[in-house]
Amino acid sequence: MKLFMQWLRRGNVFIWFSGTMLSICLLMIVGLVGFIAAKGLVVFWPQALVQVHGPEGEVLGEITSYEAPFGTEPAKVQFRVGNRDIYGQDFKWFKAAEISRRQEPKDALLIERLENGAFFGSIRDITQDGQPIAIAGAAVEEVKRRLPAMNKLQAQIRKIEKGAVGDLNRKLEDCRRTMESESSAKARAALEQKEQSLKSQYDQLQTELDQLRVKVKTISVTLLTVDGKTKEIPLGGIVRIVPANDLNWFGKVRLYFSRLWEFVADDPRESNTEGGIFPAIFGTVMMVLIMSMLVVPLGVVTALFLREYAKDGLLVRAVRVAVNNLAGVPSIVFGVFGLGFFVYAVGGTLDQLFYSSKLPTPTFGTGGIIWASLTLALLTVPVVVVATEEALAAVPRNQREASLALGATKWQTIWNVVLPGAAPGILTGLILAMSRGAGEVAPLMLTGVVKLAPAMPLDGSFPFLHLDRKFMHLGFHIYDVGFQSPNSEAAKPMVFMTALLLLFVVVMLNLVALRLRRKLRARLGGSTF
Amino acid sequence: MTHPNQENQESHRVQKRARLVDRLMAGVISVGGLTIIAAVLGMMVFIAKEALPLFKPPSSAALSAFKLPPSQGLLLDESGKAAVLVSPREGLHVHRLPDGHLLSTSTDGPKRPWLSHTPLQPRGELLVQGEDGKLTAGALKWAKPSGENNPANWTLEPNWQGSVPVLGAIQKLLSFRLTEGTGLGGGRTLRVVASTSSGLAWLEASLDETQPIALKLVPLPSGLNATCAIWNLDARALYVGTQEGAILDFKMEGEPELLTRSEFGEPISSLGFTIGGTSLLVGGAKGKLAAYQQVRVNEVFQLQPFHAFPALDGEVLGFTYGLRDKRFLAWTSTQVVVDHLTTERRLFSVMVDQATQATIAPRGDLILVGTTDGRVRSWSLSAPHADVSQKSLWGKVHYEGYEKPDFVWQSTGGTDDFEPKFGMMPLIFGTLKGTLYAMLFALPLAIFAALYTSQFASLNLRNTIKPAVEIMAALPSVVLGFLAGLVLAPLFEKIAVELLLFPFATLFCMLLLIPFWSRLPQKWRTIWGDGREVIWVAPLLILGLFVAYQTGPWFERAFLGGSYRAWLQSAHGITFDQRNSLVVGFAMGFAVIPIIFTISEDALNSVPKSLTSASLACGASPWQTAWRVVLPTASPGIFSAVMVGLGRAIGETMIVLMATGNTPVMDWSPFNGMRTLAANIAVEIPEAPLHGSLYRVLFLAALLLFAFTFVLNTIAELVRQRLRKRFETF
Repeated sequence: MKLFMQWLRRGNVFIWFSGTMLSICLLMIVGLVGFIAAKGLVVFWPQALVQVHGPEGEVLGEITSYEAPFGTEPAKVQFRVGNRDIYGQDFKWFKAAEISRRQEPKDALLIERLENGAFFGSIRDITQDGQPIAIAGAAVEEVKRRLPAMNKLQAQIRKIEKGAVGDLNRKLEDCRRTMESESSAKARAALEQKEQSLKSQYDQLQTELDQLRVKVKTISVTLLTVDGKTKEIPLGGIVRIVPANDLNWFGKVRLYFSRLWEFVADDPRESNTEGGIFPAIFGTVMMVLIMSMLVVPLGVVTALFLREYAKDGLLVRAVRVAVNNLAGVPSIVFGVFGLGFFVYAVGGTLDQLFYSSKLPTPTFGTGGIIWASLTLALLTVPVVVVATEEALAAVPRNQREASLALGATKWQTIWNVVLPGAAPGILTGLILAMSRGAGEVAPLMLTGVVKLAPAMPLDGSFPFLHLDRKFMHLGFHIYDVGFQSPNSEAAKPMVFMTALLLLFVVVMLNLVALRLRRKLRARLGGSTF
Repeated sequence: MTHPNQENQESHRVQKRARLVDRLMAGVISVGGLTIIAAVLGMMVFIAKEALPLFKPPSSAALSAFKLPPSQGLLLDESGKAAVLVSPREGLHVHRLPDGHLLSTSTDGPKRPWLSHTPLQPRGELLVQGEDGKLTAGALKWAKPSGENNPANWTLEPNWQGSVPVLGAIQKLLSFRLTEGTGLGGGRTLRVVASTSSGLAWLEASLDETQPIALKLVPLPSGLNATCAIWNLDARALYVGTQEGAILDFKMEGEPELLTRSEFGEPISSLGFTIGGTSLLVGGAKGKLAAYQQVRVNEVFQLQPFHAFPALDGEVLGFTYGLRDKRFLAWTSTQVVVDHLTTERRLFSVMVDQATQATIAPRGDLILVGTTDGRVRSWSLSAPHADVSQKSLWGKVHYEGYEKPDFVWQSTGGTDDFEPKFGMMPLIFGTLKGTLYAMLFALPLAIFAALYTSQFASLNLRNTIKPAVEIMAALPSVVLGFLAGLVLAPLFEKIAVELLLFPFATLFCMLLLIPFWSRLPQKWRTIWGDGREVIWVAPLLILGLFVAYQTGPWFERAFLGGSYRAWLQSAHGITFDQRNSLVVGFAMGFAVIPIIFTISEDALNSVPKSLTSASLACGASPWQTAWRVVLPTASPGIFSAVMVGLGRAIGETMIVLMATGNTPVMDWSPFNGMRTLAANIAVEIPEAPLHGSLYRVLFLAALLLFAFTFVLNTIAELVRQRLRKRFETF
């Protein structure tokens, strides 16, 4: 006991206390990252389809959560029953005591559809132009056999719709606009002719599309729920058929990666709650790249000026404090500035000067990827400035003096000696800036991010890079799907996966920056400040 | 072999070029650097510039005066380019402004000369008693011939509808309303109040009435003489002003029934409304001006004054209002003013001679005043942000429909006559509340963790902890917000009691285990203990969480009656929102912990070894050294860490946006939400019309955030620099 009192008096208990605080912090980090990873990684793993007898009849679905009895509440089980078009909701809660006769039927199917989410049940028959081709088990085989061709057809339609038709539409619109401003009759006639030819092309495409659409619709599949309801959908409306209870381990892995690929490489469906997030990934990457191109020259020039050219005095110190502090200014303030200055002031002026024929529809006078990138470049400039300054200061004095002594001018010294020496530091700053830019959402919401962009900022139509277009973004996707979506419960897994992806990108960028900085410091011998 | 001279020339050229490039780059970088810095700092200037017009005093300018035929009614059309005149002899005619050119005259309609007519309402409604004694209502509307873009060729159609014969002599028509019928008949109902030789009278008639309708007297209390009267918007109530200074409120469903009587203080000469018809404007014979509204007192609605305006210099002769905001015009025979209801600002005031008419354009930017000599004078008025004043931004304002002055933020409503409420206080309050809860959570964790890391942790541990925490700093706030809003908030709702028990449960577990620890041989303790406590504590924490989870329901049953939410509601009257301040505090705390930790740890770490060695050599224990020597020495650094953390918490947007309900309430309760300045900007600015009041107010909010964080960060930076300098001397 005496020992214990002494242990107390010496304050060791407080050491334990502060250790506890640190432990809590670390547990929180590990818990958060682990939680997101766990929730995100299992999203695409096929779950067993469980059939039970509930209070309202047979139920088939995936068990999504279980609540242990809590206080007066009995134990509850949440089923994802899908079939949104039939049941009106994706999820159902049952009291654990209410359900019985649990089984996992081998022939239960999970059918992923283009519309109305997943279907749980089985296939009753498949018909072509109203004539049945196959029923029951044979129908499943038939559907599986015909599905790849149908999906290919579907992809073809989408490609025409998005590519050629959109392209023609834009050309037609351009044509009409120039016609309005064109005064000479001859030019008008030429334009009219052009419009005619475009129109005929358009009609041709439309008939082609119609034919394809009819083809898609000829074969239809009748789906059967476990409680006996049927639903007829075209074969083209099916994305994938998963015999979830009949998959071996290899099949599950294959399915996992197939779904993962769809997530990464496909367009979103059903107001972003299904399908993939490719446009969001693409938009984020584009935005960060444009931002990087802007932020590096800005940051490096500023740092060079502060460290190499400006005379060290009160002014430079004050400016340095100010630039450092900009890093602490809330990002939403940058967003407000971006909206007021870039979008409305600069963009509005550009519209009036160069796009007046399109007004009042704004071209640059509304949010766009260029304004978002510029805003984020401004936001991340302090990061690059601070890192570059640090790196410039770390270039050994003797190297500079050697260069100068050989007769090199100041600029030659900077260009050939100082900047190469500082390159890793600048790169560190850039990577940190990229990581900050990738994770930032608030300023983007004001300057050009949208929940669903009709076209990518980079595509095959002239001039290829469309800086005025709005874009999608991973972070905003999380906010939008998680909080603005009508069906956020069903979209939760997607949000977890998106969050995991964003987290992965940001953490990876930071790890790289960390390593770079450590290497740099080791090379130059310790911290410079 | 090149000639030496050539070589010399060559090297000379190279040198010259190098020097030129050098000078050029020096210039480019200096100019570039300065421009970038100026641009970055110009941000604040730009934001301020956008917010500043809010506080620009309203400006007005006299426009040309012109002559118009004598008239008894005046109205400006929507565009402010035409004026409508009412004259009993010639009916309605329209003049182009500013030259007074006659555009069109309505020739049909009630038989002229008209015996009496009401003033023209701001939307162009008018009731006329023709020579034949019939009452005819009209509503002016521009008729635009198809394809005709020249307003000179447009005509103003009065749309005369119905005419109701009247029994009894009318001296003056005071007010009328046309209401859509509600019954099966469906016809429109005309309600009129007029002064007659025997007193104030009213009638109610269907528009297609052919039989003469008799005027009925309004039953005024004895001794009161009515001077003016006005129907409310749905014609269910009639407000009467009297010579004796009383405002009477009659319920007009069925027979008139006097509900309440309010005293004004001087003879009432004029009654009017602002847009929306909620606020009753009352003008006195001596120039007193006030606004009244119905307020519920003891379950009864009662007219109460809620805005007072500077007095005019004579008897108030009339009111009219703009259709864009809550501004109204009041005039006497010598003075014309425009005031704004919400802010009580006087936007416009002018002295005139012998005014007979005055009106304000629907957009509120043009004022016409007719005088007895037949001249019409006009003024332009520019007050785009009349609905904002210093007082309405920072103080309590009595809004329409509120029982008392209050801090309110509600920027948009569903209707045109909505009164915007730009009170910043609820937002500032929300910001401070969120920050407070975040700091309460983050400070102890971050500072003690930093202390431990810098003073007690083993080197290996420290080298892994620091990068881990740095990565925690880079976590996108949208991910934190998403977890807080969609995972933590519902979870917290379920296990709030368990979470609150968690620290105690952990402490309990520790107290149970510490005696065992202190009994371990010294050797074991040094090998496993020093510098690795954090590892041993982790399982204890998980154990504590488990114990808390197990005892929580029991605790809730034993002390809180089974459900803590019901207990909060019944015992303390606290409502529980799922997305509440505790959730935000946790998530935002999570976001600021790494910042506070990193800066504090740097500061603690930079305390010179000589100090700690001296302390330890004097026999102080490691904790005593850390607490009494290291912490005080590094306190400026920790202070700056707290400042930077505060700055981050104040400006955090996504977490608050996602983890609170974003309701702008002013309540310290940890169990409900708030709306912060930053989240408010994110929510509202996408829909704010460019350069409107809301847009500028949001810029003001951004400026506030900017200034706030800039000051905090500057203080932090200065303190940190001073600290660095101090340690350099060691």
